[in-house]
Amino acid sequence: MTEEAHLHNSGLAERAHRVRRNALIMAETQGQGYIAQALGVADVLSVAYFHAMKVRPEQPDWEERDRFLLSVGHYGIAHYAVLAEAGYFPEEELTTYAADDSRLPMSGMTSYTPGAEMSGGSIGLGLPMAVGMGLGLKRKGSKSFIYTLMGDGELAEGPTWEAAISAANYGLDNIIALVDFNQVQADGPSMKVMNTEPVSAKFEAFGFFVQRVDGNDLPKLVAAFDRAREHPGPQPRIIICDTRMGSGVDFLEGREKSHFIRLNPEDWARAHAALDARRAQ
Amino acid sequence: MTTAALGTLTPALKAPDIAASSIDEGHRTVSMPFGRALIRLAETRPEIVGMSADLAKYTDIHVFAERFPDRFYQMGMSEQLMATAAGGLAKEGFIPFATTYATFASRRCYDFMSQAVAEQHASVKLIGGLPGLTTGYGPSHQATDDIAIFRAMPNLTIIDPCDACEIEQMVPAIADHPGPVYARILRGNVASVLDEYGYRFEIGKSALLRGGNDVLIVSTGFMTMRALDAARDLKADGIDVAVLHVPTIKPLDEMGILREVRRGGRLIVTAENHSIVGGLGDAVASLIGRSGLATELRQIALPDRFLDAGTLPVLQERYGITRSAMCESIRRWL
Ligand SMILES: Cc1ncc(C[n+]2csc(CCOP(=O)(O)OP(=O)(O)O)c2C)c(N)n1
Ligand SMILES: [Mg+2]
Repeated sequence: MTEEAHLHNSGLAERAHRVRRNALIMAETQGQGYIAQALGVADVLSVAYFHAMKVRPEQPDWEERDRFLLSVGHYGIAHYAVLAEAGYFPEEELTTYAADDSRLPMSGMTSYTPGAEMSGGSIGLGLPMAVGMGLGLKRKGSKSFIYTLMGDGELAEGPTWEAAISAANYGLDNIIALVDFNQVQADGPSMKVMNTEPVSAKFEAFGFFVQRVDGNDLPKLVAAFDRAREHPGPQPRIIICDTRMGSGVDFLEGREKSHFIRLNPEDWARAHAALDARRAQ
Repeated sequence: MTTAALGTLTPALKAPDIAASSIDEGHRTVSMPFGRALIRLAETRPEIVGMSADLAKYTDIHVFAERFPDRFYQMGMSEQLMATAAGGLAKEGFIPFATTYATFASRRCYDFMSQAVAEQHASVKLIGGLPGLTTGYGPSHQATDDIAIFRAMPNLTIIDPCDACEIEQMVPAIADHPGPVYARILRGNVASVLDEYGYRFEIGKSALLRGGNDVLIVSTGFMTMRALDAARDLKADGIDVAVLHVPTIKPLDEMGILREVRRGGRLIVTAENHSIVGGLGDAVASLIGRSGLATELRQIALPDRFLDAGTLPVLQERYGITRSAMCESIRRWL
């Protein structure tokens, strides 16, 4: 790795640390929530927002921005953590997460939050919406990309595959789909609930430029995002990110029943301490 | 949506578990009445099978899956598939109880329910959790329109049970009903109030739970529980309130409702945990209109809008479906 790349990656590591810290602050105000997903996907979102994407946090509707569609609405906590770090809204607002009249509802919605580009919650709409925006951006001659974050459980939704067929049919090389492959969905381990493997082979067969990477390895993520943007073929792109639920907080990693976690009040301080200890290493 | 002043809020209330049921204070509760009733029934009925679209744990059918692992089909997060495959199972002689949240059961499954289930008279029992406003999660999970959506579907029976007592009786009754059924249920610890009234559930039948001379509340779902509580509160103010419970929205008990409405001299109020568009209130209004009665009707229902996200008690108060909000509306209308 060059010195420059190393410095960049350590900058990303600091960003990802702060994103995780932001997520813990939000989860603590509720005492519960989708914190394991937020910790697991923090590296993916940090590379998206602080390495790959062209955005202006002070001008969320800047026409030339790259679009980001949060298909898994319950990942709102993860998205707000990164939006706050990027400066879309003040960090102090994080403690309003999921409260009445907050701009940060539990499920991401475009009408509430600066930087949120779609109203999810009903899962399976991200890739279909990306198809429409991809067509629209091409029609306008725009060079912007559309990123969409999906869950591994979401791969069972029919609309996802309708969109996959269409994205390839229209050669939508401006779509970069991201799958948080965290091996968990609501009823349990994803591949037990519904085995969608081999996922890479499926998307390849559907005409995508596919990469599968360790979603908690920053240099590998950086390389994958770079390749996704620079790939010369006229295909939609997808990065399947194998992530660890709870990543960065040792006692949350590998925990069973991690789709929606409840912690005792004293455990939040423990979680912050575990996160800080990880950074010091 | 209202926008907060930046950074000035600390949550006074925690956003409740997104799949929590609505329980008002002072009521006995029963744990997982739907899942347990389904197990009891399935012990002697091998044709009953269970399905869920990655929401077994959140609709209480996971206990059925644990008891009868080989009779439960986990469909993954594929609601359209679940509805259609349920139609397929029914064609082969099985009675599938298929669960998801009420929003996805109605909004996402509609076409599939229409052609694969209702038109073919398939004996599918589609069960929707989180009815109406029972989560602060936001519009994606607030099933404010499920009944409106499904009322337009021919052949489909629609049930909005009040409590655990009714859910327990409903499960065998809908299994015996030879066609498709949509029921929206409460899960987890569910209040039980109708047992105090010696209540017997029957598809298509309303029940006068309480007589009264000043007001007639025609209610469904857990709003019947609130209507009964509100009636007690209003009694203290000398207002005499009758409560007619209408768990079956379709087919509607037209005779039973008209019998009470025709008595006259009372303020007629409908109460439902659903949008003011297309639910029980609309059904009763058109019934009254078609019957040539010139009766004024008031509706307690959710507004015709995408509801706010936030905390459940605050939202239920904001949209007027709590016991106290009901009392206030009725006093105002009298
Ligand atoms: C259409 C739809 N069906 C069901 C749900 C309920 N639900 C919310 S998250 C979730 C699990 C999704 O799995 P995954 O995408 O892997 O998310 P994770 O469990 O990793 O957070 C389900 C079933 C939903 N939000 N939308
Ligand atoms: Mg997952």
